[in-house]
Amino acid sequence: MMNNNMLLLIPILLPIICGLAAGLFGKLRVRARYKGMAIVAMLAVEAIASILCLRIGMSLVVGSINEAIRIVFRVDALSRMFGALVVFVWFLTGIYACEYLKKDKHFDSFFAFYLMTEGMIMALAEAGNMITFYMFFEMMTMLSFPMVMHDRTHEAIRAGLKYMFYSVAGALMSLFAIFMLTPYGYLGDFKAGGILDIEALTGHEQVLLISALMMIVGLGTKAGMFPMHAWLPTAHPEAPAPASAVLSGVITKTGVIGIIRGVYYCIGSRLLAGTWVQHTWLVLSLITVLMGSMLAYREPVLKKRLAYSTVSQVSYMMFGLAIMNSVAFTGAVSHIVFHSLIKTTLFLVAGAVIHQTGHTRVEELRAIGKEMPVTMCSYTIVSLGLIGIPPLSGFVSKWYLASGALMSGTSPYSWLGPVILLISALLTAGYLLPVTVRGFFPGVNYGVGTPNRAEPDVIMYVPMIVMSVMTLILGIYPGLITTTIQNIAAGIF
Amino acid sequence: MLTAILILWPMAAAIICFCLGRRSEKARDILADIATIAECALMIALLARSLQGGSDLYLGLPGLCGMGLNLTLDGFRCVYGTVASLMWATTSVFSRQYFTYYANRNRYYLFNLLTLGATMGVFLAADLFTAFVFFEIMSFTSFVWVAHDETGSAMKAACTYLAVAIIGGLITLMGLFMLYNMIGTLTLSEIPVRIEEIRQVWPRPFVTVYGGIVTPTRLYLTGGLVACGFAAKAGVWPLHIWLPKAHPVAPAPASALLSGILTKSGIFGILAVTCNMFAGDAAWGRAIMWLGVITMFTGALLALFSINLKRTLACSSMSQIGFIMTGIGAYALSQPGSESAVLAARGTVLYMVNHSLIKLVLFMIAGVVYMNIHKLELADIRGYGRRKPLLAVCFAIGALSISGIPGSSGYIAKTLLHEAIVESGAGRVIEWLFLVCGGMTLCYMLKLFITVFAEKNHDDELQKQYYGQKDYWNAESRIAVTVPAVILAVMGLFPYLIMNRTAYMSSPFLGITRDAMGECVVVYYAVHNLTGSFISIAIGLVLFFLIFRRLDRNVWPEWLDLEDRIYRPLILKILPGILGFVSAITGQITDEAIILLRRTTHRQISTRVPTGSMDDHLAVEAGMILDHILPHRDGSSHIPVLVEKEERAARTQRVIYGSLSFGLILVCIGLILVLIYTLASA
Repeated sequence: MMNNNMLLLIPILLPIICGLAAGLFGKLRVRARYKGMAIVAMLAVEAIASILCLRIGMSLVVGSINEAIRIVFRVDALSRMFGALVVFVWFLTGIYACEYLKKDKHFDSFFAFYLMTEGMIMALAEAGNMITFYMFFEMMTMLSFPMVMHDRTHEAIRAGLKYMFYSVAGALMSLFAIFMLTPYGYLGDFKAGGILDIEALTGHEQVLLISALMMIVGLGTKAGMFPMHAWLPTAHPEAPAPASAVLSGVITKTGVIGIIRGVYYCIGSRLLAGTWVQHTWLVLSLITVLMGSMLAYREPVLKKRLAYSTVSQVSYMMFGLAIMNSVAFTGAVSHIVFHSLIKTTLFLVAGAVIHQTGHTRVEELRAIGKEMPVTMCSYTIVSLGLIGIPPLSGFVSKWYLASGALMSGTSPYSWLGPVILLISALLTAGYLLPVTVRGFFPGVNYGVGTPNRAEPDVIMYVPMIVMSVMTLILGIYPGLITTTIQNIAAGIF
Repeated sequence: MLTAILILWPMAAAIICFCLGRRSEKARDILADIATIAECALMIALLARSLQGGSDLYLGLPGLCGMGLNLTLDGFRCVYGTVASLMWATTSVFSRQYFTYYANRNRYYLFNLLTLGATMGVFLAADLFTAFVFFEIMSFTSFVWVAHDETGSAMKAACTYLAVAIIGGLITLMGLFMLYNMIGTLTLSEIPVRIEEIRQVWPRPFVTVYGGIVTPTRLYLTGGLVACGFAAKAGVWPLHIWLPKAHPVAPAPASALLSGILTKSGIFGILAVTCNMFAGDAAWGRAIMWLGVITMFTGALLALFSINLKRTLACSSMSQIGFIMTGIGAYALSQPGSESAVLAARGTVLYMVNHSLIKLVLFMIAGVVYMNIHKLELADIRGYGRRKPLLAVCFAIGALSISGIPGSSGYIAKTLLHEAIVESGAGRVIEWLFLVCGGMTLCYMLKLFITVFAEKNHDDELQKQYYGQKDYWNAESRIAVTVPAVILAVMGLFPYLIMNRTAYMSSPFLGITRDAMGECVVVYYAVHNLTGSFISIAIGLVLFFLIFRRLDRNVWPEWLDLEDRIYRPLILKILPGILGFVSAITGQITDEAIILLRRTTHRQISTRVPTGSMDDHLAVEAGMILDHILPHRDGSSHIPVLVEKEERAARTQRVIYGSLSFGLILVCIGLILVLIYTLASA
């Protein structure tokens, strides 16, 4: 065991230092182009450093406030996978953002917070116990808050505050679980299968269950689970596209990771399986899946539609986790990766459309496919992936989720779950595909002659293409990540 | 490996064609022709190999798309692969002339070839998972065919097509989840054994590996769900709504493929489910049979009343799918391995092959008509085919075959199905409906033939113009139409040589041993077989000369449309309305609760302070002093600025006080809760 490995601090500190540098020296009169290049270089170094530094089994004890509260980092397969995903998405979105925000006067402050948030997310990915996780979770909320209110308009600030309010309220709920469960060993190092002291717990089962539910609902706030989902559709349309992309693509997933840590690495799914907590969790997640899709279907503003879609999709993962068997777990965790790539791309596309044409509403997007063919091609690919059309990645996770649910035997959710997932897939098709259809098939009498090309700069569409190609590759060879996840699941169940 | 090439080659060619087409359209057209003809040649070679008794090819690709893709090439798949690739080869040769005046040709070629790859994938699939994967790809790529024209009606039809495909696909997916959960495999060759195990345990409950219980209801539900998506693609009533709308609006080569092969891929799925899960299951058989009869009758009725060439052909496709469904129904009704099962299997396969080729010819002829005069209404095209002998002969071959006139290939297939229906004990009603629908087929084909090729147009000028068209098709198109027509004619003339052999090769897929198929000898031109055919013909002639001879107005009531009456309102208005209402409430509930709290118990202290109040006296005093000591250069006073500052400070102070007290209340509530908890647990 490689103990006290200082290498683990690199992925955390590097972006924080770079972010501070970006914030402090941003006012220097350097052309945006060079600043952008510097930022992309930082992101690239961070990505490579993280992938090199995060080796499974490494750990680092930073210090302890008292004997119960220790700041510990430890890398396992889950941290490594999530960390790799984060740096990958952050890197691509960062490239895009350089071009997107080129003329923005808050360019430097955006990247300062963008980089620091990355550091916090890496820290919570590496976190080795619940209190470390909680600490960086809160810090991530604080640092990502300025990204939401980037525009400094009245609406943006309100949206940012709403995001903040919901996140803090959620985090406090999970803090409740920490307080209540600390006597039973909740703050020990994460271990697959749970760490609670079963003997001490006897007689206090209700405490455990209530705290578990508080933890799930609390961390579920970040993941946009009903009833604490309302921040998502408010915050996303106000934030600039790259911020919405990472907010939806990565930051919502931190809530899911937190729940995985809490349920599977601290409490242990055995203690929750079959209890009313599991049932409540299942019901909440299924309500969210259906509600999110339905609201997205009714929503005319593209970015808001995508935000509702996130609400729905992240609860696919919640549903998979709530089923509590290894197949559904595989589906849920692979959906983290797949949805992250897909939703990031979708927000980048929405941003590109706003950037190039200024259109925000879906009905204005007629013939957009003729104007921005490359962008809309990647939109189409990832949309089909999100609906779950083979051979794209969303299909694989849906398959695992549904077959896991069916074999779980927790009737009626075992069959109701797949049915709702499929209804939601239909609604997903209903809210995503009209853009493609009307974009590429505007009708005979539409704009005779050559359409005006509005394709964004190469820098903006390359990240989208990369991620949509990833969606295709991961759909065809899902083994690239599902084998890892199946190994993780094997340790837990 | 060859099986993978059959799928990947057209897909690769599609992408190359697309890139090439941006430079040179001519090169692209040639490449597309080469690609499809090469595919067809390879398929024919494999068919020949299989005829020689070559073993089945198999390719397993574990891990792809999650569950692994498995491809196989047995006799039936060879036959259908050949039909599919032949259809693509002829239509793409035909496309060159047809698409001369079309826009977006490059897009068409790209998706046309992609669809070929996907369709081959469906037919080569060794398990339902693989079939489903390619089936979904096929649904989406073929959407572009229907939407190609981008007219209002084309877009509406395309959206209906897409919606039916997606909904059908999802329902099938649900069925696959359940099937996999029930028997732990989706491989076609393993399903019958597992299902047999389940059936043997009945009526005691069969417990699956995962602890679920398989009741007959659950088995039927699973089978029905799996078959649903395939049935939607096949155009089986009541999921046929897309078919009569999509075929007429698609370009003619695409209509030929939609009707000839895409519907068959749906039939392929239904066959796979029926033969492997429900062979000899009377209840299933009866259900399929009745669905088939309804489809057959509805389609024929719509075709009779149609006054548009392509729409008639499209409705006819639907009706013919119904005929095939009755064959499948007869198969499921009869005991596995019995003579009627063999007859039904043979009839079904031959009917499928036959119908594919017929619709290929007929739709391409409709394409010839359309590309020359851009009209399809029967009143407009009346007399177009006069003095065009080759066109008339090709059309006649198709028409005779589809009507089942003795001497044609259609007669053989229809006789087999008729025989199977009688033998399987489906009943006199179904038998008579079958014969009546056969008569209706003759009637509408006769109507088409007489209108287009025999009668003169009411407008003499137009008729002269039609006579004047000599080079109405180029050599390529002529070959493309003639080749399948000749094949059809040869099939009809030598039924024992070609058709029996086709059925013989296909038998293992249908759960019939090759020996049983070989032993079953049918004298096609026996008296009782001819009688059935003559009854049909008589019904057809009577219908035609008594009723439909003079029908050239649209008398079909427009409002009688399942899609506009039921599906669209249900799916676009009622369901989203209800669900959306509920979702809107659940979506708002948290925010509303917070707002409610803020308005009532957690009311925030008003931050508005009346200006000019007595509180400002400090600022006024200070301002007066400052004005004396440090007067502004422009003579203005310090007072307003200071007053404003003081007010802001006061406001902030109030907020802080408010928040503090609010926080204190919360802390108190928390303390009380903790107290209660400690007291309760102590």
